[in-house]
Amino acid sequence: MIDNTSSQFSSNSRGKEFHWYNIYGIRLSSEIQLPFPYSESMQSADVSLLTESPDFFRDATRSAVINSSPTRWYKYAPLDNGQTYLRWDDLFEFLVDADGRRIWCGWLGAASLESLQVYLLGHALSFALVKQGYEPLHATSVVIDGNAIAFMGSSGFGKSSLAAAFLADGHRLLTDDMLLLRRTDVGYVGQLGPRRIKLFPKIARRFLAGTASSAPMNNETEKLVMPLSEDHRHSNGAPLRVLYILTPPREVSRKQGVRLTSLTARETFIALVRGAFNHVITGPERLARQYIEYLDVASKVPARRIAYPRVLSMLPDVKEAILSDLAELTGRHDRTSAAN
Amino acid sequence: MDRISFSDRARTAPEVMIQEVGGESVLLDLKTERYLGLNEVGTRMWQVLLDSDSIQTAYETLLAEYDVAPQQLEEDLRDLLGRLLENALITTEPVG
Repeated sequence: MIDNTSSQFSSNSRGKEFHWYNIYGIRLSSEIQLPFPYSESMQSADVSLLTESPDFFRDATRSAVINSSPTRWYKYAPLDNGQTYLRWDDLFEFLVDADGRRIWCGWLGAASLESLQVYLLGHALSFALVKQGYEPLHATSVVIDGNAIAFMGSSGFGKSSLAAAFLADGHRLLTDDMLLLRRTDVGYVGQLGPRRIKLFPKIARRFLAGTASSAPMNNETEKLVMPLSEDHRHSNGAPLRVLYILTPPREVSRKQGVRLTSLTARETFIALVRGAFNHVITGPERLARQYIEYLDVASKVPARRIAYPRVLSMLPDVKEAILSDLAELTGRHDRTSAAN
Repeated sequence: MDRISFSDRARTAPEVMIQEVGGESVLLDLKTERYLGLNEVGTRMWQVLLDSDSIQTAYETLLAEYDVAPQQLEEDLRDLLGRLLENALITTEPVG
């Protein structure tokens, strides 16, 4: 992957400029200039991001039945032609093509480009990826000595906050919120996500020395979208060594310490299904694929349930417990590799 | 439970996928789009049930394998079969 700051443009058939990016190991061509380094111009894109007017979306959804997502965070409609319509009221609307190769974007309000990337490169892209046969996870991942570890849990469980504690120590972010794994000869490799992290201001101030150049995610949350410097972001994919499943905050007493519990492969599989990024697309074909992939991940990547009180002062202890666990696991892995 | 005859044999329902991971099993029912798990003992009981010519043969195999009272094993087997049938994960049919 080329990851530099030189401009790489080409024009599409509508006369608009395309910008090229490589995110999650996916080749993106975009009519929207995103706040990331360009990739070199490519022959073809895995996903094209296009802009359209409100009329385009109105026409596309004329006879559609609009549903609320399971968390009621956004609205969506599967269309008869296989396309999927997504809308965050007053922010954005997207149309994802049936084969996941194109995403049309429309602004519904005065949202920032930083905000757009969260919705576009998160939920909207997840629909395109699932339609193309990928199974993205709802996870944040950091890289420690070349090994990726991933934190899984629902929104508000503290995935990004925990990652920020690692970044403060000089470790690097692989991806925030959405993790795409690729199976390789050396196991599952976590793909490099966008160079940004979503954090509450107090976490950003504590671990990343301030909130300069950040932008609000939306009007409903205090969370900020923070661009990261090259020092804080890993440069390419990394092999996934451990999955840490974050226990819901309400299930942990404030007096409790850090607890790590190993999961069986079956329990890991269930955690993976729960932690799928996209629960909206169902149907036998997708579920059968998810079943096969997650069972394989569960049989190859160890997982721990991690419980800790959600107080800021606990995060260094949580980090130490994870580093110690990872050192033991990778040491064991190295010894096994040497024996073979 | 009364509908279970030990002279019948059990078969996996057509739209059910099952895979063993680490000694336990995960089932996916494509019709209902539900996942189900079996622990180690449940996994072994499933394997023997589905590999045997009849439920009675499976019962005898498991009785020889586990240190368990015959009455207890029969109850456990009927309980498991009842739950698998209730969730349409298996079908039973007469041998012959």
